[in-house]
Amino acid sequence: MSHLSQVSAGFADPVHDAQTAFRAVLDALSRPGRQVAVGQPVKGLALGPAMAHLLLALTDDDTAVWWQHSDRAAADWLRFHTGASQAAAPEDAAFAVLAGTAGMPPLAAFAAGSVEAPERSATLLLEVASLDTGPAVEWRGPGILGMQTVRIAGLPDDFWAQWHASHASFPQGVDLVFTCSSVALGLPRTTRVRRLEEI
Amino acid sequence: MTNAAIHTANPARRQWLSVLARASRPELEEALVRLGSLPALEHVRPSEPGMVMLRGRIGGTGDAFNLGEATVTRCALRVGSSALGVGYALGRDRRKAELIAIVDALLQDPERQAHLQREVVDPLASRQAALRDAASRLAASSKVEFFTFVRGDA
Repeated sequence: MSHLSQVSAGFADPVHDAQTAFRAVLDALSRPGRQVAVGQPVKGLALGPAMAHLLLALTDDDTAVWWQHSDRAAADWLRFHTGASQAAAPEDAAFAVLAGTAGMPPLAAFAAGSVEAPERSATLLLEVASLDTGPAVEWRGPGILGMQTVRIAGLPDDFWAQWHASHASFPQGVDLVFTCSSVALGLPRTTRVRRLEEI
Repeated sequence: MTNAAIHTANPARRQWLSVLARASRPELEEALVRLGSLPALEHVRPSEPGMVMLRGRIGGTGDAFNLGEATVTRCALRVGSSALGVGYALGRDRRKAELIAIVDALLQDPERQAHLQREVVDPLASRQAALRDAASRLAASSKVEFFTFVRGDA
């Protein structure tokens, strides 16, 4: 019971904040590579504001969440507000909360859906150090007019190679939302990625 | 937190939450006025109405079945830096759930607990017991015994 005394608040205005956050993630995934502002900081919570608001808007008691860093306080906070359970292994998770560092599991470790039901795949939420200062990559695909250059910092070295492998099994595969403080940026499975150094 | 955790960890809290949930809103408002000024409230979960499924067993022993849904309002908050207080009450009265959560948060403070228990919870509990007693007396006075005469040739 003691851990519940530490639990932080959720949405200040549940209906409108949830709608705003949902609209933001919808925009982020339909316009890949475009930065979308989400949410105000939640007092006393270790998660970034965008991460916190996306979790509150997207999860419920049917969606298991896998935490890369077993952060008891954040998992309890989410369970208190949305009822989302904790997934024991990455492949069981509907959503995964990751810090985009070298320790993160490969993309292939997460549920990619089946051929009959590709929508039963995981959505990964990655908190990264910066969305503006990393190595440049080119994104193309639905929702992008021509080409979009994206500079995400702090990803593992083989991240884009993993993304290529995941993209090869389209329409199966995971969707990603990168978050950095209060900004979110979507990478749906339809997006093709090319590293500029390889050109 | 599961029901089992409440049962085992803190029977006193279970008792006061049940008394507070049965109290009326004016009674709770009046109790709050007597507490004087309080630190600022921090709403962790603002009051929200919802539904719970009521389950029953015929005769207390049959298979469980869904009796129907009841409207319940719940609230979770802190008073200043207090422990987390929760309020659950039947109906759609948001303010009542909030009042219960405030009193629950204060009751978890060891310094205030004895005073609040004596001044707020115990009077409410005895009033509720008296009402229940009066109602069952009223029902008992109209009780009718049915019996059947046994025929001589049976």
